[in-house]
Amino acid sequence: MKKVLALILTLALVVSSCVVASAESLAGTYDITLWVAEKAVDLTKQQIADFNASNELGIVFNATVEPVSEADAATQMITDVEAGGDIFCFAQDQFARLVQAGALAPLGEGAAAFVKENNDAGTVAAAISGDTVYAYPLTADNGYFMYYDKSVIPEEDVDSLEKLIADCEAAQKYFAFEMQSSAWYLASFFFATGCVSEWETDDDGNFISVHDTFNSPEGLIAVKGMEKLVKSDFHLSSSSGSEFSSNAAIVVTGTWDYETVKGILGDNMGVTDLPSFEVDGKEYHLGSFNGCKLLGVKPQVDAYKLAALHQLARYLTGEKCQQERFEALSWGPSNLTVQASDAVQANPGLAALIAQSPYSVPQCQIHGSWWDIAKVIGDDVKNAEDEAGLQQALDNYYDKIASLFTLSDDVKFGWTVIGAVNGTMWDNDFAMTKGDDGVWKSNDAFEMEAGTEFKVRQGLSWDNNFPAENFKVEEAGTYYVLFNEATGEVSLSAE
Amino acid sequence: MAQISDLEFLRLSKAQKTGYKIRRFFTGIPKAIASFFLAVWHAIQKAGKAVGREISEIGTTFKEGDWKTKLSFLVMGFGSLARGQILRGILFLLFEIIFIGYMILSGGYWLSMLPSLGTQGPTKEYNALLDVTVTQYHDNSFQILLYGVLTIFFIVAFIYTWRVNIRQNRMAEKILATGKPLKSGKEDLHSLVDDQFHKTLMALPLTGILIFTVLPIFFMILVAFTNYDGTHNGYTNNLFTWVGLDNFNTLLSWDVTGGAGTQSYAATFGEVLLWTLIWAFFATFTNYFLGMFVAMAINKKGIRFKKGWRTILVLTIAIPQFISLLYVSKMFAKNGIINGFLMDMGWIKTALPFWEKPNWARITVILINIWIGIPYLMLITTGILMNIPADLYESARIDGANAWQQYRKITLPYMLFVTGPYLLTSFTGNMNNFNVIFLLTGGAPTNPAASSAAGAVGYTDLLITWLFKITTGAESQYYLASVIGILVFVVVALISLIVYNVMPSIKNEEDFR
Repeated sequence: MKKVLALILTLALVVSSCVVASAESLAGTYDITLWVAEKAVDLTKQQIADFNASNELGIVFNATVEPVSEADAATQMITDVEAGGDIFCFAQDQFARLVQAGALAPLGEGAAAFVKENNDAGTVAAAISGDTVYAYPLTADNGYFMYYDKSVIPEEDVDSLEKLIADCEAAQKYFAFEMQSSAWYLASFFFATGCVSEWETDDDGNFISVHDTFNSPEGLIAVKGMEKLVKSDFHLSSSSGSEFSSNAAIVVTGTWDYETVKGILGDNMGVTDLPSFEVDGKEYHLGSFNGCKLLGVKPQVDAYKLAALHQLARYLTGEKCQQERFEALSWGPSNLTVQASDAVQANPGLAALIAQSPYSVPQCQIHGSWWDIAKVIGDDVKNAEDEAGLQQALDNYYDKIASLFTLSDDVKFGWTVIGAVNGTMWDNDFAMTKGDDGVWKSNDAFEMEAGTEFKVRQGLSWDNNFPAENFKVEEAGTYYVLFNEATGEVSLSAE
Repeated sequence: MAQISDLEFLRLSKAQKTGYKIRRFFTGIPKAIASFFLAVWHAIQKAGKAVGREISEIGTTFKEGDWKTKLSFLVMGFGSLARGQILRGILFLLFEIIFIGYMILSGGYWLSMLPSLGTQGPTKEYNALLDVTVTQYHDNSFQILLYGVLTIFFIVAFIYTWRVNIRQNRMAEKILATGKPLKSGKEDLHSLVDDQFHKTLMALPLTGILIFTVLPIFFMILVAFTNYDGTHNGYTNNLFTWVGLDNFNTLLSWDVTGGAGTQSYAATFGEVLLWTLIWAFFATFTNYFLGMFVAMAINKKGIRFKKGWRTILVLTIAIPQFISLLYVSKMFAKNGIINGFLMDMGWIKTALPFWEKPNWARITVILINIWIGIPYLMLITTGILMNIPADLYESARIDGANAWQQYRKITLPYMLFVTGPYLLTSFTGNMNNFNVIFLLTGGAPTNPAASSAAGAVGYTDLLITWLFKITTGAESQYYLASVIGILVFVVVALISLIVYNVMPSIKNEEDFR
């Protein structure tokens, strides 16, 4: 009897709470604070007024809209979460920090589905940590491309880094590409050769591991390309559009500088995707980071207010608002429908981004310290005297990454060939792949002379290496290196 | 090393004299250190004795006191009330009630949480109906630390007041024993603007200093012993907790692999400290001597438009550094106006790396700092220079002293004597000269070896700008910033103490009067 009574009571409770908490009950007036970029304050006020008028849930927001730049929002939020805006916009590189600080409320299932369905895949990836969606994509225009001065640079040269450098040197004008103080720009060269730095995060925004291939033969090609630029006397490490007014002919920056550059160059402004560089007769088209801005909701104690805020966030990042933002502020939309519209496709800045997009890499979660560690590669490359110096730059980078972070399993447990192979002197690791039979095989065949020595090592360190004495090639030829992990046996194979 | 007599000293050659002085200085160091620790030991002993005296006096008060006094040990102000000093009694009693009330209502909680800095972090709960995740907040480590410290301050204040209360009883008993009447409340109030006026005057500033200076400093020092950072902010994500001396170990460790990549934290710290000292030395003395030189040049007889020259120089002070320094930083950029001019004139083929190479950048900041600093020094020294009695120079000239000798023997000693304390403050000020470095270079160029140390320190970073980078950097390591803050204090205090004690204005206070 007691059990039955308890059951009835529980049911009654559930039903009553359902009634109380049904969607209509979101109706009410909420005092909220919003942080948006200064340019967008007026538009956002208008959009909130539209939301108040049009939503069917009876939600009315009494909103204070404050101008806080996307770059500062995260730092201000982290300093004092309680005092922060209920809804705030931020650049995606701050995402993990904000999740770690507990400054972002995770999205519910409905909202998460909405985000995934309507936005560019790259921007969705930027809003996810672990498996949890924490923010709403707002724009998808945080990428860089090339502005140039048509009166200095001939149109036919814009696809070649070498020609552009030569043109700048001939004209005594600067080529501005922020290589010495920003990893965001510097990564361009690495993406060109197919290097990656991919980070895995958990549901709380903590970094679990990194899969980083900057220190690789491809990475060496990348720094060789970078060397050409940074060693030029007319390279300028800057990404400000205003450099055109102080003797620059080329600036690599993004859509935010469009008006500035237009104002300085007028009809001489050229906008295009990044050029290619050539190493050992092969062309590599410069890559780029493809980032976005996000909109987040601060965690709340009051479930109803939180639900109402999520409704507003959804509205503000929906198709209508993104369209309005594109029209009023030229912000590139992350919404797929708006992205596909003709007006967006025709915008010159966004068109350049779209031209660059086949070579761009979505900027997912990246550890804050990575930016500091990676940015010095530019200086190291500039100071390098020879190829060993370039390799040293990569080694330094790798050492720091390895000492600070947990490498992903395929780097940590993977085996590589190292030795006097392919013209390297024990300073380069060549990747191997594990076959179905459990035997590791080098990805490339090496031309080896009799007496060539090498070893196979794990995790790019000497903790585990085989064979105990250097392997010596007995007969010259082209071989793949085989390694049996179970027996520790190293052998050569012609195919 | 044995000290030689004055006569022997005078017989030495110039080089020998200098050598002797230097040797004396270094051989004196162990003795100085020993005497420092001895002094500290004496101070501790003295403090211990004082506490012992206090306790024994409290004991005698209790033993020899009447029942009113004895009850006052428990109920503060009872003795005063019973002896008719109503105002004092009420104040004591009120304080005790407030204290006990505070301790019961919140102080006890803060104090009990202080050892752990909180036990429960925020919890998240999914509300399926509204499809939202609601967060509930619990302990707040930051508040626990802050209010815990405040509570300790309050307890100390209470113990002090309790002690005063006991002493009052003893004094009252003694006064009554002599047959004199005790002070009434009215007389007490009156004395506050009369013989106790110093207390009235000092009450407000003292409270202010305690709350706005001592408490925050105490709090910040304690942060160095916690793991307070971006991922442990103590409230909205994870609580922070005590970690003992771990942070000091991190910063002063020579271990290369321990989180610093290719260079240990200790090496990085050493490099930054060395540059900070070099910078402070040059920034102080270049400004000092060049500023004095400019002032003397303008003061020279026969120089026309004196006021005009001074106005031109002072203009650099009139423009806020925020604007002028950012502008100058742009001027020296690779494509800035200076390089542009030099290249247009055909004097150089490629831009000079003012901000790109470590030593170029370091020298450039020192030079630009001269430009900012000279006007201040010129203003300060102008007045002092005019103050040097002209007859000193006149008699020197008659004796055949040249300009350099006059400067060495008259101007410089006089200046050093008067501006000694200023030099010291400007040296410590330059060690913490955030503005110039931050606005000119922002610490650039980055030091590749130290890029993975917290805050990515650069070649022109001072300790203070490094500290700033750490707190605002990727991981907001407040604890590490706090450790650096403490070490900066130690360095500055050490230098100040040594210099202060050898300064002529302190040593020979009677000279030049």
